[in-house]
Amino acid sequence: MQITDLDLQYFISSIKSVSKYDLSNYSDKSLKRRLQKVLEDNSINLMTLINRMMGDRAVVEKTIRDITVNTTELFRDPTVWHLLRSRILPRFKNNKTINIWHAGCSTGQEVYSMMILLNEMDMLERAKIFASDINTDVLETAKHGVYKYRFNLNYLDNFDKVIKQNPLNFEEYNDVPYEKYFDIDKQRDTLSMKQFMVDKPIFRKHDLVTEGNIFYSKFDIILCRNVIIYFNYALQNKVFELFHSNLYPKGGLVLGMHESILGPWANKFERLGHAYVKK
Amino acid sequence: MYKAVIIGGSAGSFQVITRILSSMPPNFPLPVLLCLHRLKHVRSGFVEALSIKSTLPVIEPMDKEQIKPGRAYLAPANYHMYVELGNKIALSTEEVVNHSRPSIDLSFITAAQIYREKLIGIILSGANRDGAYGLKKVKDHGGIAIVQNPAECQVKTMTETSLKMTPVDHIFNTNDIIKYLQKVK
Ligand SMILES: C[S@@+](CC[C@H](N)C(=O)[O-])C[C@H]1O[C@@H](n2cnc3c(N)ncnc32)[C@H](O)[C@@H]1O
Repeated sequence: MQITDLDLQYFISSIKSVSKYDLSNYSDKSLKRRLQKVLEDNSINLMTLINRMMGDRAVVEKTIRDITVNTTELFRDPTVWHLLRSRILPRFKNNKTINIWHAGCSTGQEVYSMMILLNEMDMLERAKIFASDINTDVLETAKHGVYKYRFNLNYLDNFDKVIKQNPLNFEEYNDVPYEKYFDIDKQRDTLSMKQFMVDKPIFRKHDLVTEGNIFYSKFDIILCRNVIIYFNYALQNKVFELFHSNLYPKGGLVLGMHESILGPWANKFERLGHAYVKK
Repeated sequence: MYKAVIIGGSAGSFQVITRILSSMPPNFPLPVLLCLHRLKHVRSGFVEALSIKSTLPVIEPMDKEQIKPGRAYLAPANYHMYVELGNKIALSTEEVVNHSRPSIDLSFITAAQIYREKLIGIILSGANRDGAYGLKKVKDHGGIAIVQNPAECQVKTMTETSLKMTPVDHIFNTNDIIKYLQKVK
């Protein structure tokens, strides 16, 4: 079954009419794919889904959760973490506090990666970590910090690349044990963050499309990686405005490896590698 | 007359794609979209390897990047690459399709929806079925479907599945693909 543009419009306006969610500026190709998947997974047609959403708020919430793409990893894209380590975080080395916001944090791996890196740079204690996502299921997982082990062996590769090896000096090798930050239980097939790790971040539900800053604080660094690829160009610009106004001057913005500021907000930031610094 | 060329390949396609890219006319009038499977751990270096001999610039595009003629856009590792309204690239990390991310089917389907009869789709050597359905969609929308001659392919699965799924316009050896692209307008 193929979802037409009209179907998609109908779906979007139905959600809008019964909730505050607004998907109208999501990237239409991937939204279509996601909607199709929701229908296939539940073996229902669009009319049935819409009728159910009209009758039951919980179905809207579930649909929103199902629509989102939550793929993530520990230290996803090690080069980004090298950049953070060598050029972004050192700028805040002498700050009394460092406020960091992970917007669209999914199941939390990015948050814990950041905390590990901060700790290795002796900056964790001074950091305040805020993390948000529109999807409450992934936030629950994030709060617990327990992941599958066998399926995620690349987490350890990435950890080695970022924490143990120094990309600027191949002779250097820091033998940081994994158990410093997480426990691996092969029987149970789990990789669980240590208690001091899960205790620290503040996780909140937040919708980048309809809400402003909910954390009552400005930020030194905002990470929003692989979230705006699901937004169209206009919505991307709206989100850049939100980030710009909630960063301190010289604050850093880290987008995903294949995301960039293409429009009018580009000249309000300076490039730092493939990251951005507020002018 | 056409608006884009899209090429999908997997196991055994690297040599072929390198030959094609090295023989493209430098002022080629269309964009070339490349959706190629790569080994799981080869995340970087691929675009550089393809660039060495290519006459067109090979780019791993950014999300929402404007698609321009005379350039080759390589789907980045671990992202699906779509074509969106306004002739823009859109990327996604949603789950693997046909065990693949990027998925050739997804790139072909979205390109077919945007470029319709003005698209040339080419499927090369490969070891899985990904791409076969996408090529059918190119054909369904009135575009041109080309398959590398299975007899010439290092691995035939992808081309043979494509041929089973849709009647194609041409079954070409690499040399003929190259000759065909020389004349494309
Ligand atoms: C692919 S994940 C990215 C996770 C992590 N940042 C990374 O790069 O590995 C994208 C996340 O964006 C979230 N998201 C989608 N739309 C959102 C919105 N309007 N507001 C906040 N988060 C959103 C999804 O729920 C999903 O968890």
